[in-house]
Amino acid sequence: MRTTTLRPIGALLAFAAALTACGDQGGDPARQYGADPYLPEPHQYLLPPMSVPQEIGWKTGEKPTVTAGLKVEALATGLEHPRMVYTLPNADILVVETNSPGTEAYRPKDFIAGKVKARAGAAAKGGNRIILLRGATADGQPALRTVFIDHLHSPYGIALVGDTLYVANTDAILAFAYVTGMTQITSPGVKLTDLPAGPIDHHWTKAMTVSADGSKLYVGVGSNSNITENGMAVEEGRAAIYEVDRSTGAKRIFAAGTRNPTGLAFEPQTGQLFAVVNERDEIGPDLVPDYLTSIRQGGFYGWPYSYWGSHIDVRVQPQRPDLVARAIKPDYGLSSHVAPLSLLFSEGQSLSPNFANGAFISEHGSWDRSPLNGYQVIFVAFVNGQPVGKPVPVVTGFLGTDGETVHGRPVGLALDRTGALLVADDAGDAVWRVSPTQPGS
Amino acid sequence: MSHSPQPPVAAQRRTSDETRGRPLLHRGFIAAGGMLLVAALATDYAYYATALWQWANFSAWLIAAGLIVMLVAVIVLAIDFATGRAARLNAGSFTLVAAATLLALINALVHSRDAWTSVIPQGIFLSAVSTILLLIAAVRGWSIATSRATAERA
Repeated sequence: MRTTTLRPIGALLAFAAALTACGDQGGDPARQYGADPYLPEPHQYLLPPMSVPQEIGWKTGEKPTVTAGLKVEALATGLEHPRMVYTLPNADILVVETNSPGTEAYRPKDFIAGKVKARAGAAAKGGNRIILLRGATADGQPALRTVFIDHLHSPYGIALVGDTLYVANTDAILAFAYVTGMTQITSPGVKLTDLPAGPIDHHWTKAMTVSADGSKLYVGVGSNSNITENGMAVEEGRAAIYEVDRSTGAKRIFAAGTRNPTGLAFEPQTGQLFAVVNERDEIGPDLVPDYLTSIRQGGFYGWPYSYWGSHIDVRVQPQRPDLVARAIKPDYGLSSHVAPLSLLFSEGQSLSPNFANGAFISEHGSWDRSPLNGYQVIFVAFVNGQPVGKPVPVVTGFLGTDGETVHGRPVGLALDRTGALLVADDAGDAVWRVSPTQPGS
Repeated sequence: MSHSPQPPVAAQRRTSDETRGRPLLHRGFIAAGGMLLVAALATDYAYYATALWQWANFSAWLIAAGLIVMLVAVIVLAIDFATGRAARLNAGSFTLVAAATLLALINALVHSRDAWTSVIPQGIFLSAVSTILLLIAAVRGWSIATSRATAERA
């Protein structure tokens, strides 16, 4: 009698195991580079594929790997979760130490997700401040390191316009009076405008750049969920790129449907605004490719209703066919779940003739894909103001050789006054400086 | 399903009057966990009807809470056996409740998806099947074991 009782339960267990253990491996990321990425059929999982490397940091002497002709050294170490880096005109370097303001668990899943992300360092405390680095001693270390602005609220983007330094906190843009040579700002800053933040504030970073004439700021505001699982009400004004008038603080949505626009920059040849955008998760290891795209005024880029143009996401109900019909296909796929976080156009041949025209993009690295993807800084060449060809890895070696540990994760990018590439590394708590092995080569 | 003519060994050990009439403790926990899982069908339907995310959120919490209470029920069931209250598993009801709980476990994973597909179609289907199984178990009195008093009368 006992065995007949247990037989259906055994069958159920086997059924559950079959559903969860589908071992869905991501394919070659190269299939998803460029204008026309390979897009597999979406899947709905019981347990979405997940692979989160253990964060182990850098031991003394360890550092990332750079492509031939370049060298890398630590500009600063022992920082508190550095995410962004910015060079001032007098060659001082600002480092934004920051992290998420912290979100409440709304669903049972949020508890689990929080634990997973903590393993990858996402729960590390950010300094909520900006550090200033100045000068260089013989060993390449800064001669001066000060706390430039303290007591910020999950800051991210920085833009200096004239004598005003703008800092994008997660909930507002603050303006600080800046005089060349300052090493500390103690004034609280004047609010230029509010930005969409809580409740939840799922994608909290506020990337920011300034128009060529200095009149407008552009701010990336991420969605408040992966794919509207926190309801549509909290998505009001999110997943968009804002244009903020610098003189009045008036703002409007410049483009929408960009799930998490984490890096904004103007292409130097054409003056066109570009963005890197983090796309949605949990419908497969090769969906949806993160992308680099030009941003058209009034453009709609799909989120949440569709991806890569008009590919419907069935998780979103009710649908909006009117919006899907005009959803813009992004310009350039970066492959799935690489998490591009910074976009920086090169300025001539400062690093290498190979990197004269194009953009550096930092890829923070995947968590819901196996094998891992990203964890590098790449270069995408531009011709006539458009991205072309395949991405070239520039800075790698953030992952351990076992593929299960991670030393660091690249985030913010900037060029210093010598044209060297600075890379903020929030898991390694360092800023790396990448320069040519032969100056002037 | 024939009942064994002799009480199991564990029951034979303790047949004194002091333990004979004691009620089963696990029933209330099975009922409480079961009703949480049944309630998830109602909130699933509300989400299906309105597409308002909070209903799906309620479902996810109801299923998670239902599973936790069912786990408590298993512990209490073990206490029922250890203290001699329970004589043997009630095979039919046990199968119903165990199957409903395993489906709810799968359903918790389905409900961990984001937005619409966390409920439609698999989630609400699993909630409905769990509900049917649990309601039958309810009619049978929620008890998944037979008390010693009943076993000895039989």
